Amino acid sequence: MARGGQAQGDDGFDAYFRARRDAVRRTAYLLCGDWHRADDHAQAAFVALHRHWRRIRDRDALDAWMRRTLVRSIVDESRRPWRRERSTDAVSEARPAGVAAPAHGPADAVATRHVLVDGLRAVPPRQRAVLVLRFLEGLDVAATAAVLGCSPGTVKSQTAHGLTALRAALGDALDDLRTAG
Amino acid sequence: MDEQERDAGGAGGSDARLAAAFRDAAAHPPPAGFDAGDVVAASRRITRRRRSALAGGALAVLAVAGVGTAGLVGGPEAAPTSSAASAPAADGRRAAGPDGGPAAGSAPDAARAGGPAQQAAPELAPVPAPVPQPPDGTGADAAAGDAAAAGGGPPLGPGTAACADRQDPALRALLERALPEVAGAPEAAVTTECRPAGERGLALEVREGSTSGLLSVTYLPPGRAVDPPGVAEPPAAVARTAATASGGTVVVASRAGRAGDPSPFADRLDAVVARLAPQL
Repeated sequence: MARGGQAQGDDGFDAYFRARRDAVRRTAYLLCGDWHRADDHAQAAFVALHRHWRRIRDRDALDAWMRRTLVRSIVDESRRPWRRERSTDAVSEARPAGVAAPAHGPADAVATRHVLVDGLRAVPPRQRAVLVLRFLEGLDVAATAAVLGCSPGTVKSQTAHGLTALRAALGDALDDLRTAG
Repeated sequence: MDEQERDAGGAGGSDARLAAAFRDAAAHPPPAGFDAGDVVAASRRITRRRRSALAGGALAVLAVAGVGTAGLVGGPEAAPTSSAASAPAADGRRAAGPDGGPAAGSAPDAARAGGPAQQAAPELAPVPAPVPQPPDGTGADAAAGDAAAAGGGPPLGPGTAACADRQDPALRALLERALPEVAGAPEAAVTTECRPAGERGLALEVREGSTSGLLSVTYLPPGRAVDPPGVAEPPAAVARTAATASGGTVVVASRAGRAGDPSPFADRLDAVVARLAPQL
């Protein structure tokens, strides 16, 4: 995780931006399931950060703040009247139920990625955020709770519910993950 | 993972497989759609826009206050000179003075531009996202909001920007009069998504007593319907909707920041939406 502690002024921002842009985009992508929207959210978070850059005292807290801003922005957007998300019972037709798990060719790898992203979109936004923070970002329960502003117990229960929802959505589509549970 | 998670997540070995699958799913991003220059430019554009909105809003408040003061002090005989009486009130020293009139009226604008209320926020307060829009007109729009809020202007109506403003200063001016407790509240993070022209939006991080949450106001122009409440509506959200004087729709919603807490100002939303509807 990049730190901006040694950075100063706009130069420090540039260094932080270069170090973290792709990681922030990836997190946004798994949170919203679309690269274009992910770029919108990531850019918005970096713009917000830049506007505060000179007033930031605790540069070690940058990553946590970016995560919090990103999650809040995407979860809030999913609840807005014009983009209210509808949960689905199953992933899209990326892989019909009952079809064997992917082999290891390039095409299968692409299909696997799409299946997981589709599965995540079927998970309620807050639970999805918990899963992304924990399994993509590698945060522990306490750090995830701090980002989301909730208790560690809530993170644990939402992890459990999120995993259940993800596996239910995946069905037979991704045997690796299904059997992992 | 603890026992509760293990029920759903299985043994620790699955954690590694899950993490690998998550990493792989996002491992091949397309070329980024923005660079550091875009971010810095958008940030500076917002700063310029806010300063412009601050100046326009403050001038409108001072003008309204000046006209009102002339009417009260001069009585009927002073009416012909009331427009001239507003000129001294536009003096910046007057606005910053201790007399409580114009200075009190400009307090929300100062807070919006990073005044004391915002500076007192935590180390990093969430701030608005860049909103694509034309460079001019925001200040005038904020002034229109002030005029509508003061009851001296027509309904605010649809926005005029090419993309709807997600943190609309005119809408904020109206809200702060309908619900003064949110004056100076930090703006919540929003996205850069270009909403259709005509809409207006506002999202604030608010606090009522010991509870905090998100208060949002959305204006939809005539002909644009609000989705019916859906299954994805967060359980803690409270929303009120009303038809506006311009034929549009206003939605005011409040959501607690943490599950189980009451939504801030939930018992005030009826009054707020009733006050906003004739002004929008």
